[in-house]
Amino acid sequence: MRSVRVKALLVGLMLLTLVGVLATRESGPDRMTTHLVGQGAPPIEGTTTSGEAWRLDLQRGRWVVVNFFSTTCVPCVREHPELVAFAEAHAEADDVRVVTVAFADSPAAVEEFFRSNGGDWPVLVTDTGRIAVDWGVVAVPESYLVSSAGFVAAKIIGGVVQADLEAMLVEARGS
Amino acid sequence: MNRFRWLALVVLVLGALVVSEVATQPVLTNADRAHQLAENFACPVCSGQSVAESDVPIARAIRTEIARMVDEGATDAMVRTELVERFGQDIDYTPQGSGLTGLVWVLPVVLAVAAVTGLVLALRRWSGASTGRASAKKSSRPMVLLGIAVLAVGAGLLVAQTSGSRGAGETGSGEIRSSTRTLLAQAGVAAPQEAITLYTEVLELQPSNVEALTYRAWALWRSGGQLLARVDISDAVTLDPAYPDARVFRASMLFADEEAAAAAQDLLVLDTLAAPPIVGDLLAASHLRERIASSLAAQGDLLMALTLLDSGIEVTAQPAPLLAERGWLLAVTFEPDLLGLAVEALDEALVLESAHPNALAYRALVRSVLLEDAEGAAADAAAFAALADPPAALVELLTAEGLLG
Repeated sequence: MRSVRVKALLVGLMLLTLVGVLATRESGPDRMTTHLVGQGAPPIEGTTTSGEAWRLDLQRGRWVVVNFFSTTCVPCVREHPELVAFAEAHAEADDVRVVTVAFADSPAAVEEFFRSNGGDWPVLVTDTGRIAVDWGVVAVPESYLVSSAGFVAAKIIGGVVQADLEAMLVEARGS
Repeated sequence: MNRFRWLALVVLVLGALVVSEVATQPVLTNADRAHQLAENFACPVCSGQSVAESDVPIARAIRTEIARMVDEGATDAMVRTELVERFGQDIDYTPQGSGLTGLVWVLPVVLAVAAVTGLVLALRRWSGASTGRASAKKSSRPMVLLGIAVLAVGAGLLVAQTSGSRGAGETGSGEIRSSTRTLLAQAGVAAPQEAITLYTEVLELQPSNVEALTYRAWALWRSGGQLLARVDISDAVTLDPAYPDARVFRASMLFADEEAAAAAQDLLVLDTLAAPPIVGDLLAASHLRERIASSLAAQGDLLMALTLLDSGIEVTAQPAPLLAERGWLLAVTFEPDLLGLAVEALDEALVLESAHPNALAYRALVRSVLLEDAEGAAADAAAFAALADPPAALVELLTAEGLLG
């Protein structure tokens, strides 16, 4: 009778330990938002609104802001002037380039949006679902800063702000 | 005899289960497989919906991507690795086989074995009690139980390992593209020796990776491995004649080997390709095109030299250095017919870049020596002297002509 009690006590203690471990363990890092940073940038290859072919690997030597966007997304529309200002600030030095991947959108709507709101950088409109999956995009807007050597240096969830983007660039370049 | 009856019963039941499972399993089409896989992944932005169920854009894109991968022959494990790598472990409904989550796989097996063991023991006790053999078996029971427990845990771990074990970012299941991509990026910022090792790793995974071959050649060249570098760069150009980086590196190597004409051919091909900015930067920083043109002109092939420069002027965003070189090569022919073209090129270079040292120095010399325009020459020389860091060779040249004090 006594051994049964000891066994019951042991089982109870084991269960309590298990519950304790599960309850006090810190949750892991949010890999859905950080997994690409520090890795080689996934390939991007597509056709722009003007019908030209564009490839990320042909930008080596320049930093690139990869912006995932849709005309139907309000934060994307709100961030657009900030991106335009950022692109204009770097146009002369040509040290950073911007590319937009229009995700789940119609090419005509995207073309019209850029015509009305400015932005003369390449806007990809083909095969964008595949690119979004390759980059693990969950919801637009999302932007990535890709180094001149092809690493993903930073990820921005939500709309970008020019000043934040500049600060991020300075930090990533280490200058 | 009794034992054989039990064994026969177990074999019969297991056999029936296996046969029924195999017999009712239809052959899956690619579409069926893609749909089944989509059911195993969580929609990244929905609550409680799988990728198969959700209709948000990213879920639709993931479904399309799964279907594409399945059509291209990817295994379930490859699809899983790819999606987990991109969206994180949370997307995968199949529990991991390692860590605490691995208990999900281990415990059911342990419990099942324990239940079967308990059942068998209970039946044996009942059978033993009826035949009076229970006490004889009692002494060996702890060892038997220990053996069964070890077997159960081992089986559980095996199931966990084969069912769910994989890690995001791991390449064990054949996800080559992302691993080589990261290796290439790492090699791009590594010291030459380390870069050679990284590029070699890439080439072990993908023997025809042109980028790895090209840049390994360049790293070898910079480290003194000229012979191996030539082999790699030649292979790279053969594999992909349209890879711009290989063309510019081979041109540089050929020029170093005093094969200016062959080097020029590579640059002419390069001008027809869509080259990344890094290639233009490399050409500008090394003045490779100007040096090759100068060498060709010195060998008497002015036409080829001018063709090379003109081709570069057409494609580059900053043609001033090439225009300056064109002007100088035309001027030093001392042909009166070509003098006008020389001045035109130098003027154009200075319109584009008013403080270009070569253009200023060359025009000062042309004005002084060939045009007898002392005032113009002095103005150019003064502008040259005002430069922050004028090239020493040009300073020497202008000083020798008496244009600098």
